Amino acid sequence: MPAAARTLVKVGKRELSLSNLDKVLWPDDGYTKGDLIAYYRSVAQWIVPHLKGRPLTMERYPNGIDAPAFWEKNAPRGLPPWVETVAVPSDDGRRKTIDFILCNDEATLVYVANLASIVLHVWQSHVGSLERPDYLLFDLDPNRCSIATLARVAIRFRDMVRELGLDALVKTTGGKGLHLVIPLVPQYSYDAAKTFGELIARRVHEEVPKLTTLERTIAKRPAGTVMLDWVQVGEGKTMAAPFSVRPRPRAPVSWPLGWDEVEAMTRKRAPDTAAEMARWTIENVPGLLRKGGDRWAGRGWKEQRLEPALKKARQLWG
Amino acid sequence: MPHAIWSGTINFGLVTIPVKLFTAVRTNELRFNFLHKKDGGRINNVRRCSLDGEEVPYADVARGYEYEKGKYVVLGDEDFKNASVEATQSVDIVQFVDLTEINPMFFDTPYYLEPEKKGRHAYALLREALKDANKVGIAKVVLRAREHLAALKPNGDALVLELMHFNDEIVAQSDFDFPEAEKMPANELKVAKMLIDTMSATFEPAQFHDTYKQKLLGLIEARAAGKEIPRIRGKAPAPTNVVNLMDVLQRSLAESKSTGSARGSKNGKKSDEKAKTTRRKRSAA
Repeated sequence: MPAAARTLVKVGKRELSLSNLDKVLWPDDGYTKGDLIAYYRSVAQWIVPHLKGRPLTMERYPNGIDAPAFWEKNAPRGLPPWVETVAVPSDDGRRKTIDFILCNDEATLVYVANLASIVLHVWQSHVGSLERPDYLLFDLDPNRCSIATLARVAIRFRDMVRELGLDALVKTTGGKGLHLVIPLVPQYSYDAAKTFGELIARRVHEEVPKLTTLERTIAKRPAGTVMLDWVQVGEGKTMAAPFSVRPRPRAPVSWPLGWDEVEAMTRKRAPDTAAEMARWTIENVPGLLRKGGDRWAGRGWKEQRLEPALKKARQLWG
Repeated sequence: MPHAIWSGTINFGLVTIPVKLFTAVRTNELRFNFLHKKDGGRINNVRRCSLDGEEVPYADVARGYEYEKGKYVVLGDEDFKNASVEATQSVDIVQFVDLTEINPMFFDTPYYLEPEKKGRHAYALLREALKDANKVGIAKVVLRAREHLAALKPNGDALVLELMHFNDEIVAQSDFDFPEAEKMPANELKVAKMLIDTMSATFEPAQFHDTYKQKLLGLIEARAAGKEIPRIRGKAPAPTNVVNLMDVLQRSLAESKSTGSARGSKNGKKSDEKAKTTRRKRSAA
């Protein structure tokens, strides 16, 4: 292979030297690293707001999605001087702090994509209040269940938090499942948020025990159920950002859904959730965003409080 | 109203009480039909002769008793008819005994006896007398051409006829090696009794369910309704008390409040400031 074919590009006022743009990252689909970068550039105005100020973890696939990947938290050596980072105390003995990249602008986004970081994982809290999550995340992980079951459980979830006066947002993970997100005012500890998450997850499980499981061990999860995962909440825990690409065939993208779309899914017969979720890809997402914008932006993202919800929960379930 | 399976009289001494007999216990086993996996067709059993391979109509079937390996005594319908006791249509009480005298293992299947109109008074009288005396009647009764030993027991407002095993049907305890009742150390016995005391409760049969059947039924209903079938599983994860969780959350929220967002930024600045962000110096590379 010819050594490091480099391409100079200008992004805003920054100049970047990109490498190996023709490197194929998706062998079956033929998408290259250049395609990945082009995708992220085309959605920059929508994705950057979801990344901004949040410590970023990269999931890098330098040799394509079929080759080993590595997760990288610490900013790599050779980081351009204009890339912003945040130093976070590390519990890993080797170093005192980890310097996380903050993907605050399109140039940084291009830099990160050039590292073949297909997935962009970000914290659930912002710099300035890193101990205070600004949303509560649930991961709905289907265990050989149909799209209809997955969607039914998501709707049950939505209805339950709605009873408590909270609005939940939903997006595809880009894999097989769904992420449910309840935007919060960044005032609660991760522990409080997680406890609330556990409360909801257990209540949902009690209501639809046959469609859901709380079992963490994959092998023990009953087939045909949705795993309700509330533990992906905590300082340092991450979520694949909306519009992040996933290292799967067809290059699917994590896509915010409307609840009407989830309701439509409850009537779907498709047995394979992954195929359904792969309807949003690097091919069609830029166009969809240009046409309809980001559901989660602006008024779509309403920070909410947990106290009234708990009060309501006590009335209903106490 | 269930269907009476027999009607006759209870006889003792010179008293006769006209009654009907009803099933008192339903074994609620689920019943399944065998189907051909490939096309769902019902599977018929065919009686086929092992010698000539021909299908045998029911009329040509005789019963054989294998008295020695491969050797049969053949009995025809007549033989069975001759052996069967006369259908007497009566519960003939031969004696009354204390209930406690009967080893409960002898009891097999209970039936309700319901009095005919003109027998109601005598029926109630017999029932109350049995209760007062704490006795049960031992009777012989012929049901479905077979003679049974039975006990006539008062049970609430009913007289129950409980078919009993014959003595030779009960497996003797001497066939097993059970520990003998030697003298138990008093203190050990005391501990064992204490444990029993702590676990003592009123027996409430409604508390106990056939969970296997319930799960199968749930699955059958769901599949009949065309829904997705959740796999039958052993145990759901133990539900954490939701109320407990709410208490934990209450405390968590209170703590969140009291610390405010002071820890929001490590150097105590307002959260919007990028206090902790740095711009790397080229020299770092």
